[in-house]
Amino acid sequence: MKFEKRRASTKQEIPTASMPDIVFMLLLFFMVTTTLREVDVLVDFKLPEAKAIEKIENKRLVSYIWVGKDERIQINDSIVKLNEIQNIMYNKREVLPNIIVSLRIDKALNMGLLTDIQQELRKAYCLRINYSSNIKI
Amino acid sequence: MIKKKKIPQAEIPTSSMADIAFLLLLFFLVATVIDVDTGIGMTLPEYVPPAEQELVEISRDRMAAVLINENGDVLLDGNPISVGLIKNTLKPRITSKISLPNNKKLIVSLKTDRKTNYNIYIQALDQIKLAFFEVRDEYSNATHGKKFNDLTPEQQDESKEKVPIIISIAEPELVKK
Repeated sequence: MKFEKRRASTKQEIPTASMPDIVFMLLLFFMVTTTLREVDVLVDFKLPEAKAIEKIENKRLVSYIWVGKDERIQINDSIVKLNEIQNIMYNKREVLPNIIVSLRIDKALNMGLLTDIQQELRKAYCLRINYSSNIKI
Repeated sequence: MIKKKKIPQAEIPTSSMADIAFLLLLFFLVATVIDVDTGIGMTLPEYVPPAEQELVEISRDRMAAVLINENGDVLLDGNPISVGLIKNTLKPRITSKISLPNNKKLIVSLKTDRKTNYNIYIQALDQIKLAFFEVRDEYSNATHGKKFNDLTPEQQDESKEKVPIIISIAEPELVKK
């Protein structure tokens, strides 16, 4: 008696023809969602935590002010002095009338500096602010 | 008869396409920063020079004054209170003013010392905001049966009208030297 070897008639291959399409889809997703970081943060800060936080709807309106542990203030790409804030922010507001200023301030700082910054912002008519903070769980 | 020349089929080799796409994908995966900007939104009052400032009388029962000193001790309307209790103390006061006209809603005033820690200020502000948010949620739950975030924009506006968030950051006083 002769035994015939049983062989599966199907091919054992994964079709890879559609792989580029799948990869391109993923690629497209990441390309769309990516926002490349525009500025280097020069100051060292840790954000406070809060519960009642909101997302900023429109990222294009946001302008950041960083304040580090050492009380250095950074706007855009440079460290600025307190009395320069008014001019810088006023110019920014002329370009973007409904600008939102996101204050990224180290949680160990005192209110005195924040009060001074806020007074400068008020003089520059940048009245919409956002105290940047992380979600407390 | 002239034999037609066979045109050879032109083909682009596509086997390496996946590799190229993977490389690109890898780059974007690494470069992506998905950071959402979150924080406590506020609107500052317009700047008025000290000489032109006017004092407006506000009845005691419309105001809730939160004072924080440099040690992080909190006073709410003159009574010492811990930061975590601000929310529950304010909520009934906000709720009781829902049906009142707009010029009688609760104003929460927040005042700090120059040496107060920023973190405590944020905690207090957080508590105040939470109190307003929760009252809004309760109001919309009672009237529409939904939470504030699930309402239609018109209903949201109506709830905002009923429970406006009025937080006043006190005008800084001149520093005594």
